[in-house]
Amino acid sequence: MGEAEKTFISGLHEKLVEDKVIDESQLEPDFAKEIVKHGGKDVMTCLQCGNCTGVCPISLKIDYKTRSIIKFCQFGLKKFTLETRWVCATCYRCYEHCPADINPAEVMIALRHIAIKEGVIPPFIRMAAMTLVNYGQSIKPDPEIERVRRELELEDMPSRNPEFAKVVREINLLIRSTGYDKLIGIESEVKK
Amino acid sequence: MTQYTYFFGCIIPNRYPGIEYAVRWVCGKDGFDLDVEDIKEFSCCPVPGIFYSSDKNTWLLLAARNLTLAQNERREILTVCNGCLTSLLKATEYLADPKNLGKVNRVLSQIGRKYTGIPRKTEGRRRIMEPVKVRHYVDVMTNDIGLEEMAEKTKRPLKNISAAVHYGCHYLRPTENQTIDEPNDPVKIDRIIETCGAASVDYEDKLDCCGAGGGVRSHVVELANSLTEDKCRNIAEAGADCIVTGCPFCLLQFDNAQKSFTKEGIPVMHVSQFQALAMGIDPISLGFDTHHVSAHSFLRKLRGT
Repeated sequence: MGEAEKTFISGLHEKLVEDKVIDESQLEPDFAKEIVKHGGKDVMTCLQCGNCTGVCPISLKIDYKTRSIIKFCQFGLKKFTLETRWVCATCYRCYEHCPADINPAEVMIALRHIAIKEGVIPPFIRMAAMTLVNYGQSIKPDPEIERVRRELELEDMPSRNPEFAKVVREINLLIRSTGYDKLIGIESEVKK
Repeated sequence: MTQYTYFFGCIIPNRYPGIEYAVRWVCGKDGFDLDVEDIKEFSCCPVPGIFYSSDKNTWLLLAARNLTLAQNERREILTVCNGCLTSLLKATEYLADPKNLGKVNRVLSQIGRKYTGIPRKTEGRRRIMEPVKVRHYVDVMTNDIGLEEMAEKTKRPLKNISAAVHYGCHYLRPTENQTIDEPNDPVKIDRIIETCGAASVDYEDKLDCCGAGGGVRSHVVELANSLTEDKCRNIAEAGADCIVTGCPFCLLQFDNAQKSFTKEGIPVMHVSQFQALAMGIDPISLGFDTHHVSAHSFLRKLRGT
């Protein structure tokens, strides 16, 4: 657990301990609005009851407190919240237990959207997206598994069929249309 | 009779072909003989932990494209994965909003597609549309086929087996549109296990997360594995012979994580594989050799040797 813990906690907690003094210049007053724009609910209505943290499976393992993150969002501490890594498993337990109906899991998703816009992009996002634009699926075909498929007399993967090229073209077009390729930096992979 | 289309997603065909075989077998001539077809143009659902997490517009477009394919065939989507279920189901909810629908259809028109939903009835000249139905395998088994018919097809009851059921988060939550099961006290997979003649053992924190979702497995595998370790400890204490889940991503997590903390491990399988065994399939067709945790201990016990 050691390494993972270090990598992860370094985001929010340690930084705050280091920079104890937070002045107004570090606050983004419209941060709550930005979260709403990205599909989260209004964090200002959070009661800070802590139910979300109490039921969070991740909080048992590392120093990750949903309530604290929501509090930082209320303050407008965008800089710090963007540094919290992607450890929310989106199990939606917090959502079920939130008396203010905030849906913290969706707030975490909104924070991820904002982080991506700010250029904080975990490498696995690019990898999965590149697999999708090349194969139409998020997991690469594995020759060993394809051998088992033939043994079981299952049909070959649709992606092995030449006609599947049309599907891949459609996907590439959809990805280009939203600018997703530029957003996460895979323009060179996306076919015109 | 309801018409379905298979939606296997990415993990099953590319990592666990045995599940695909089992599902086709259970739904096919040897099993319940459902009216179910393949649509070969389906892409990734797309996976919520990656695309829903990084850009909702792109996620919705890709999901809507898949939905239009099922819509054009007038078929219900039969998903075998909790991730595909949550992604596609959520997309139908987003598309119920005319603003989202308009935006999506403007882009989809460039590839000659349009999402409208499936016409349910006509009132005068107006056609009443309903969203494309996205169903989970367990939902179809328990609600459309029913436990009685399942019990009839159980040719080889797995009498001496005790299974630990793992439901997986997106089978249960968010609860607002969850109609498969009772989210806080789910029973459907347990019932399937019992119909197969096996016992479903209760264990501590049964409804807990496997740890893999939301990109956690891809991002910090140690963290995901430590959650799985807790679950496996509880499952081992309950004395289960195998873990049965309805989600291939949870399955993948249990299957891969166990080698990081134990030598032997508890065999993991999809509910369709378990069902197929009880319905008399030859275990060799279930592709257990692609699973990392060997199923030998389980199969030996099954044979009673």
